[in-house]
Amino acid sequence: MLQIIRIEWLKVKSYRTFWILLLLAVAIIPAANYIGAEINSEIRDKAKDLIPLSTYDFPLIWQTMASVNSYMTALFGFPLLILVTNEFTYKTHRQNVIDGWERREFVLAKLFWWLALGVLALLISMLFAVILGLAYGTHAFSLEDSRYMFYYFLQVEVSLAIALLIAMLVRRAGLAIVLYLAYTMMIEQVLVVTIKRYVGEVGGLLPLQAGDELLPFPIVGKLMSSANRFDDGVYLLMLLVYIALMIFLVFRRMLKTDY
Amino acid sequence: MSILSLHNISKRYGAIQALSGVSFEVPPGSVFGILGPNGSGKTTLLGIVTDVLKADEGTYSLFDAPPAGRLRRQIGTLLETPNFYHYLTACQNLQVAAAIKQKPEQDISRVLEIAGLTARQHSRFKTYSLGMKQRLAIASALLGDPGVLILDEPTNGLDPAGIAEVRELVLRLAETGKTIILASHLLDEVEKVCSHVAILQKGKLLLSGPVNEVLAREDYVELSGPDNTVLEAVLARHPAFSHILSRNGHLQVVFSQPVDLAALNAYCAEQGVWLNHLHIRKQSLEKAFLQLTNN
Repeated sequence: MLQIIRIEWLKVKSYRTFWILLLLAVAIIPAANYIGAEINSEIRDKAKDLIPLSTYDFPLIWQTMASVNSYMTALFGFPLLILVTNEFTYKTHRQNVIDGWERREFVLAKLFWWLALGVLALLISMLFAVILGLAYGTHAFSLEDSRYMFYYFLQVEVSLAIALLIAMLVRRAGLAIVLYLAYTMMIEQVLVVTIKRYVGEVGGLLPLQAGDELLPFPIVGKLMSSANRFDDGVYLLMLLVYIALMIFLVFRRMLKTDY
Repeated sequence: MSILSLHNISKRYGAIQALSGVSFEVPPGSVFGILGPNGSGKTTLLGIVTDVLKADEGTYSLFDAPPAGRLRRQIGTLLETPNFYHYLTACQNLQVAAAIKQKPEQDISRVLEIAGLTARQHSRFKTYSLGMKQRLAIASALLGDPGVLILDEPTNGLDPAGIAEVRELVLRLAETGKTIILASHLLDEVEKVCSHVAILQKGKLLLSGPVNEVLAREDYVELSGPDNTVLEAVLARHPAFSHILSRNGHLQVVFSQPVDLAALNAYCAEQGVWLNHLHIRKQSLEKAFLQLTNN
């Protein structure tokens, strides 16, 4: 596996587009939360005596940042979409196999990025949660409720798995990006609202929505949540099922199809 | 041992039967030509043995073992078009290839030199001309000095000088005892080195085996006199005369048994025809091939 990672590194290390897309996905985490923390500190200063714990105080900050970041999970899909569709555009997926990779190794190489980008999102989020929590919060550092960061991580992995599957099925960069954007920004939201309205809470079990259900904004989210929602464990299970299903489909596709 | 062994390989694209029941073996040290017109299934066949295409039926083995990535690493392959990362330089692209093939990076400068790309090794692939891209693909196939090469139309996109260079390179590599599997167009050029051939037509294997058995090539004698009509009448009376191949310019005549040119010259002189041209030739592989595929 180390050999595969080294080869993937050789492919991207001087690929500017990839690094720009990655920087965008990473930079938006501190940027959005910096703005959030500023607004929050103004509100807190004005209503000091009413709210004992603000959203950028430990331990609430874990949930706050996980929730804010969950609106931007799709951004991590773009560097992955570009990396995978590039291989098809340049037919280098064929060359990798011709040169001696097993097809399985080609899939593992892309699964490395799937995991690495998710871990990066998690680490950056946790790092800035600590920084912003210490800078803006009035409470001591605490890991209590940091499980929300894990939920966020799983949601990023689901987004990335959707990107990976679309890229492997569609192969063309432009079309893959349009489909990914359409799904993450629109299609799923429409489905969720429609199913919730006409069928019920099961609409909350769709891939990205299952993550959103686990990541309500602190305080406000509780007021808005439905009384019938499933137990957290159900949403968590669904996230894992979606990830497993999509990775299975990626393998099935890439092991059997003509390159 | 055989380098490559195919058993009953079939492949269909929708309504088109690209390959049907193809079987043959490539012995070690041979220069194996896979010949056939465009669309006969050559690239499909090479795609299957490099695992980029999946056969519908049949099996194949590499070095007498079930196919695997580690076996493909011992084969330098150039399949159809050069496939490289456009945003990487030639050198960076070869680093990726060397890493996958598990060959030392020190070999990169050697293969770039062979391909004549040393001066442009730090230019991005997307700035390369078609011929340079093809040269880079050849360089990549030579990484790690593999004992087996699969070359699918390796002179594609090259200018006349480049074609001549690749022709010479293939000859040189063949002399070092490497097994070379070569797909067509180069037919004419590798005539001298092709030891074995497999001939495909519309996805079917017409024939395969040592080149002299598969493509029986008649020797013929090329000759001219002051009046070729008279000469033809004289030759027709020669006891070993078989048939005339061509009457354009010189007469090309096939005899039923080997004839001594001096004796033939004397025979014509005795009959009152003084020759001004006399030469023994071998029918070109290409001609023999065309005759075979037209039948």
